[in-house]
Amino acid sequence: MPSTILIVDDSVTILMSMEAILSKGGFTVMKSTSGEDAMTQLQKGAKPALIITDIHMGQMSGIDLIKKVRVMSGFQFTPILVVTTESQQSKRDEARAAKATGWLVKPVQPDDLMKVVKQILPKG
Amino acid sequence: MPANVLPLASTVAMGSAPLLTPRLAIGLMLGSCACGLAGAGLCLAASRQGPGFGVAAAGLAAGLAWLAGQILGFSHGPLPGPIRLLLFHVIDNLAQYRAFTKLLRDQGQSITRTTGTAAENIATVMTDMDITLEALAAAVRRDGAGFNQELLVSELRRIRAPIIGILSVLQFQDVTQQQFAFLNRLSVILDEHMMRLASQLGDRGAKERVAGFKEMFEQALADCVMDSQRDDHHAASGLSTREDPGLKVELF
Repeated sequence: MPSTILIVDDSVTILMSMEAILSKGGFTVMKSTSGEDAMTQLQKGAKPALIITDIHMGQMSGIDLIKKVRVMSGFQFTPILVVTTESQQSKRDEARAAKATGWLVKPVQPDDLMKVVKQILPKG
Repeated sequence: MPANVLPLASTVAMGSAPLLTPRLAIGLMLGSCACGLAGAGLCLAASRQGPGFGVAAAGLAAGLAWLAGQILGFSHGPLPGPIRLLLFHVIDNLAQYRAFTKLLRDQGQSITRTTGTAAENIATVMTDMDITLEALAAAVRRDGAGFNQELLVSELRRIRAPIIGILSVLQFQDVTQQQFAFLNRLSVILDEHMMRLASQLGDRGAKERVAGFKEMFEQALADCVMDSQRDDHHAASGLSTREDPGLKVELF
């Protein structure tokens, strides 16, 4: 059974682009356009094997989403990747402190994304 | 013209008296007392009977006049007419620049919307094409006996190959949107700075100082998201500093 990945980004083109890359890699993809929507999906029982989130999004930032997910039961160890245009070291450190798993800078090359995802989810 | 600069502009341009505030009333009263004392002092000094009283009255008048000046904010003297007119023109121009920066912001938002719609359309079409080609390849493998199945499937795979690359390139739209958002923030910072400048013009007694250009520029640096934006900021500052962008991919 293919693993499920939840992508969280307020950009529709990013969601479509990354869904295509990950689907081609054999993963099932769920999408959210905001941190709030992602939390709703998780609270309703979604169990993604990996969460990929943007940082700069509406009311709830990606960093806030990571902090909230980390305190949810069953998600303390779920890998969470940050995919963002942000390149400040301080933001990177903030994500690391919030217990993000990794950091990718947009635009993300398909090969780079798949390489990282397969490192995190080797069984696919 | 923005409402909060209108009272200043009208006062500056017309030289008209502002509304009678308590501060103004006290200042005018003290000024009148100073004038009265000065007159009495002159009379006493001229009468030869109380030159000492005259000097004392003049000293007291001078003190009251200074106090009135501080209260009225005229310690440096009133602004001459040509200067008032010049200040009015400056304030008027600052107001027009705000219309210009708003136009820039609106154009940025329009471009973001247009490119966003175009990118979504392209992504939808490419995704549909990819799905169709995949289904066609499956159909050839299943029902393509009598055709050169290997060749057909190979050709379909070759046609599909660039689609993922095209879809990933569409991420440019998100990057562009963020760059326009940054330009928006810069124009808002500029607007706020112009408003502060406009509110300070003509008020030489103002204690509050407008944030200098340096501080405004540093605020813009703090708003930068991408290393390319910070590099551009350093270049605009005359620095050749280029930020280390860090790793594009990093596992913590």
